[in-house]
Amino acid sequence: MARFDTLNTAWMVWDNPAPAPEGAVLEYTRELEKFLADIERRAFRMAQVALRDPDDALDVVQDAMIKLTRSYASRPSAEWRPLFYRILENGIRDVQRRRTVRRRVMSWLPGPKEDPDNEAQDPLENVADLAPTIPERLMQAQAMQRLEVSLRALPARQREAFMLRNFEGMDVADTASAMGCSEGSVKTHYSRAVHALRAQLGEVW
Amino acid sequence: MGEQDENAFEMRSSALFQDSVEGLDMRIRSRLTQARSAALEAAATRRPWAFFGGKMWTPAAGVTAAAILGVALWVGSPLRDHPVSSPEPQSSFEDLDLLAASDEGSPDAMEMLQDDIDFYDFADKTAISGPAA
Repeated sequence: MARFDTLNTAWMVWDNPAPAPEGAVLEYTRELEKFLADIERRAFRMAQVALRDPDDALDVVQDAMIKLTRSYASRPSAEWRPLFYRILENGIRDVQRRRTVRRRVMSWLPGPKEDPDNEAQDPLENVADLAPTIPERLMQAQAMQRLEVSLRALPARQREAFMLRNFEGMDVADTASAMGCSEGSVKTHYSRAVHALRAQLGEVW
Repeated sequence: MGEQDENAFEMRSSALFQDSVEGLDMRIRSRLTQARSAALEAAATRRPWAFFGGKMWTPAAGVTAAAILGVALWVGSPLRDHPVSSPEPQSSFEDLDLLAASDEGSPDAMEMLQDDIDFYDFADKTAISGPAA
């Protein structure tokens, strides 16, 4: 019977793990929540720029949040941001790979072809909460839309470097950490991205 | 394309991005809040083994569980104890009678074995040369 009791206890712990000391958890949770709240909207927009689809972007952001909190929350909070964006970028690449595979499979099947990248073709569908009655807001939204299209045309590493440096405002060291490359590579990718974007968007933009 | 133009471009793109972030609709904001709560909840309720190198032990635990399951299935498998099954209970009894009546090395058993060998020899030759006309 002793063995049964031990196993039973183990199952009880498995199903209802004992909470950690309340004070420590509270402080750690608050800090983590503050970090995620600060970063989540920008992360979503960056994922949306890369993936076009808002639902996919939300899924990728949520996965990145969960992975960060589960696996890296014990790391110093200064490391959270590069780690988070590294996880996010991996998630974005996974979705893009799955889409590529799906597209290849669909091309072999008869019937209407599904292109997952065309799910959100209405250019204004992804524009966030704009007020069409205000021409300036509309022009800004259109300019952002053009920037997004140009960003998607960039190689993945250039897009990543540009978004982390320009959109997220990360310094070169943190960007290098998030991208898993040297600072020199970050500078090269970023510089090429800026030149390519300016060439695509032209002087009028 | 001067450095000034480049800076202006960077500032403009950054400002446009920030505007688009500020303009996210309530549905997206709400879903992001839910995602954050789910992530924090997941972190709070993670399994106790995760604190003791759960990642490292997960594959080993999986292999062990599979091995135990395999042994359990083999031990409990009817094939282990009854390699030949018959749909009719009566014929099973007949088989048992035959087996009980003839121990190994007895003339009956040897005769049955010889019959089998002859049959397989015949079948093999027929398959190679084709059926007789």
